[in-house]
Formats: sequence, C-alpha cells, structure tokens
Amino acid sequence: MIQIFHVTKHYDRRPALTDVNLQIEKGEFVLLMGPSGAGKTTLLKLLYCATSLDEGQILIQGRNVARLKASAVPYIRRTMGVVFQDFKLLPKKSVYENVALPLLVQGLSAFETRRKVMEALKAVGVEHRKESRPTMLSAGEQQRVCIARSIVNSPIILLADEPTGNMDAQLAREIVELFKTINARGTTVLVATHNRQVIEQVGRRVVTLDQGKVVSDEGKGL
Amino acid sequence: MRRLIHFVREAVANIRLNRTTTVIAVATTAFTLACFGVFLLLYLNLRAVATSLQSDLKVVVYVKDVTPPSGVSDLQALLKADPGVQALVSVSKEQALADFRAQFPDESHLLQGLGENPLPASFIITLAPSYRSPDAVRHWAERLKSAPGVEQVQYSRDWIDNLNTIVGYLELAAVGIGTVLSAASVTIIASTIRLTLYARRDEIEIMRLIGATGGFIKIPYLIEGAMLGAMGSAVSLAMLRGGFELFNARLGMPGRFLGIDSGVHFFSGQVAAMILVAGLLLGFIGSVVSVLDLGRAKS
Repeated sequence: MIQIFHVTKHYDRRPALTDVNLQIEKGEFVLLMGPSGAGKTTLLKLLYCATSLDEGQILIQGRNVARLKASAVPYIRRTMGVVFQDFKLLPKKSVYENVALPLLVQGLSAFETRRKVMEALKAVGVEHRKESRPTMLSAGEQQRVCIARSIVNSPIILLADEPTGNMDAQLAREIVELFKTINARGTTVLVATHNRQVIEQVGRRVVTLDQGKVVSDEGKGL
Repeated sequence: MRRLIHFVREAVANIRLNRTTTVIAVATTAFTLACFGVFLLLYLNLRAVATSLQSDLKVVVYVKDVTPPSGVSDLQALLKADPGVQALVSVSKEQALADFRAQFPDESHLLQGLGENPLPASFIITLAPSYRSPDAVRHWAERLKSAPGVEQVQYSRDWIDNLNTIVGYLELAAVGIGTVLSAASVTIIASTIRLTLYARRDEIEIMRLIGATGGFIKIPYLIEGAMLGAMGSAVSLAMLRGGFELFNARLGMPGRFLGIDSGVHFFSGQVAAMILVAGLLLGFIGSVVSVLDLGRAKS
C-alpha cells in the first residue's frame, strides 16, 4: 500500500528525515512514534504531497508521488483522509458543510453527499452538531468533525497527525477507538503520536522515529 | 450544476465578506470606465454629427451664362445619368434671383444697378453615399468641371473634413485612454482579488489538502472578478447617464441654438451592453492575473 525507500528531506539544510525506509501493507494500523521534531509530521506531509522530498521514492498503491504532476496531486489526495493536528476546519462553514467539502470537490450528487455526510457524522458521534460552526465546538468535537471529514469519502488510507494532542485521557481513548473502528473496515491507518497511552490502547505496529531516522519498527504484522 | 451553484455562492460570499475592498474596487472601476465612457460618448456623438453632415453634403454646379437651353437640358441629362448623383434640383437664373432676394432682402438693391440678372443657373446635387468621402467628392467635382456648359463646381467640404479629422483624433484618444484605463481597471480588480486570496489563504490551503483541483479553487475568484467588473461598469453607466442628463439640461438653450439638441444621444442599448460586457471581461482578466500565482504551487 505505502512503500517508502531511502527518503531524505531537509528544511534549510537541517535534516528532517534521513534515509527512511518503510513498508505499510493494506489494512495495517501503524503508529508513528517519536519526540517532537523527530520527523513524524514531515513523513505524513510527504505522504499527502504537502511537501516534496529531496531524495528517495514514495510509492502509494504503486504510484510514485515524488514524480506526480501538480495536476495529479488532488486526485491522489482524494484517496486518503487526513486528520490534522490543528483540525483545519473552515470556520465560516457549518459542521455539515465542512464534512461535505471532500464530496463537493469530487462532484457527488446532493443526495449521495447527504447520505455519506450523515453516516460520517454518526460514526464520530457529532450528528447533533451538524448546523454549528466549528468555532462553537469543543476541541474534542472539532477533532471528531475533522475525523468525519477524513473518512467521508471512504479513503483507502487515513493519516492522522497527533490526533489526541491536548486532549484528556478519556477523550483520547474515544478518538483511538474511532480509528480502530475505521481500520476494522479495511482502511490503512497511520497515526503520528507521542502519546504512550495510544500505543497501549492500539497494541499494533509501532515505528519509532528519532532525529529523522527510523530507530525501531516493532509489532509488524499485528 | 451543484458545483456551479457552489462557485457562484462562494463568489457572492467573497464579495460580501470583503465589503470595503469590494466597494473600493467597484467605485474605482466605475470611475475609470466612466472616464472612458465620456470619451466614447463624445466620439460617438461627433461621429454621428459628421455622418449626418456628410449625408447633407450638397454640390452646386453653376451653368455658363452662354449655354443655350438645349445645352442646359443636355447637362441635366448627363448629371441624372451619373452614378454619383443621388438627387438633383435645377435652379434657373430667375429662381436664383428670387432666392437671393428672399434670403437677403436688404441687399437686393445691389443687383438693381447691373440691369441684367447676373446670377447663373445651377444644379444642386446630393451625392450618392459612396461618393461622399473627401477624395471621392474632389475626384467627382474635377471630372465634372470639364463637362460642356459647366462654369464652376462648388462644395463646402473643408469644414466637414476638419470635423472628420477631429473625430479621427478623438478615436485615437479614445483607444489610447481606453487602453490605459482598462489596464488600470484590470490592476485594481487584480489587487482586490489578491486581497481576497490573502484573506482566505488558510481556506485555500485546506481546500487543496482535501483534494480540490486548481480549477475548483480558482473558479469562484474568477466569477468574483467578473462580477466586480460588471458591477463597476453598471455603476459607470449610471454615472454617465446622470451626467448626460445634467449636461443635456444645461445645454438646452445653447444646444438648440447650435442645432445639435436633437443630435446628442446617450449610448444605444447595444453599446451599453457592450460596456457591461467589457467591464465583466476586464474584471475576469484582473482575476485571472491574480489567480495565476495559485496555479504555480504544487501543494
């Protein structure tokens, strides 16, 4: 599903990732661990083409994202859902409109959009807030809306960057349970976190990054 | 259809969101287009006057006094057969004298001392439209001068030519000023759209990250630019109409005195529609210029 070969990335000559190699199979749940500045976010950004790599190759479903034309980038992004650390919700649009956005972009019918959006909102438990603006929601609710938006178009890959950051233990547990449910439906999930509680709760493969290098890869195949 | 509704709704939302910049852009576009509109009005009206004067152009062919009546008839037949002659009025010597006395009653005594009627017979000719250009009139008059019985061929072409020259210069000025002001409108609208893009950069970034194509992101801004341009040109037309009515009211008396009161007209519906479309296009071009940068980034 995801193949990363000898990937190196620098920011102003400072290495963010150095010779990273990783293979993630279809349907896997992988946790990307490491302290702040380890390169977790950079790796995720490379996967959803938000930044370009300096060396190496990244294949997603056999397509080399480093060689993608600019016009092809939106289409590969539509195959994945992304949960951002800062949610990235549109403040002037309602929860419903935010979640519907990926479907609008793809040109789905109004009927199909409504069905899928309501399904996604129910899955994360915020269907009762569909008319609210994101600014009126709590951090936990905003995170759930962000997750709903990331799964609304049934992506084959779900990437999440510190999805439990700044959340209490109970809320973090609920969010992780959501990811486990999404993964159980066959979606490949890659979650970047530095939260130990998440690792214990998931109990799957853990890849640890430190100073831009893969220092351990445990529980492969779980 | 759903996408189109989304694009238009987004464009309207942008306009509402940035009211101040929208008002500035529309007002500035309206003023620049109004400046151009004044020139266009002046040009179109002067051209209409010139065309009307050209159609009224009369050529007078004076007949030699010694020409016998049969010679006058032959000349009349020759003129009637000429393709350059649209209409012809024959004025006899007696008619010419009567006309002179009627037009200048105080000076009629001047002719009394001469005994015999000194005024020649003549033909007043209205030329066919294709013979009304300066060169064609000159050429036609030169040719006629050598016809038997013709004393002189007279026409008052000079001042019409001068008016045509002025209209020509106005045309050039309108093109020049129009180009400069169009560039100004494009720049103003491009800046407005840039401000909108800057204000909504986070939103644009999010749209990209969820898989929106460049076209999907840009189209609302292109519609917004076109809307701003169209609004600017609509306001400019309203300003011009108001100014025109005011000018007409003030010009009332002197205009009638100069005989141009019925000749001054506002833009026809077609020209007004063209100005609206021009504003829309300028706005569209302005937004194209500003959204070009959006397409350059890969992510």
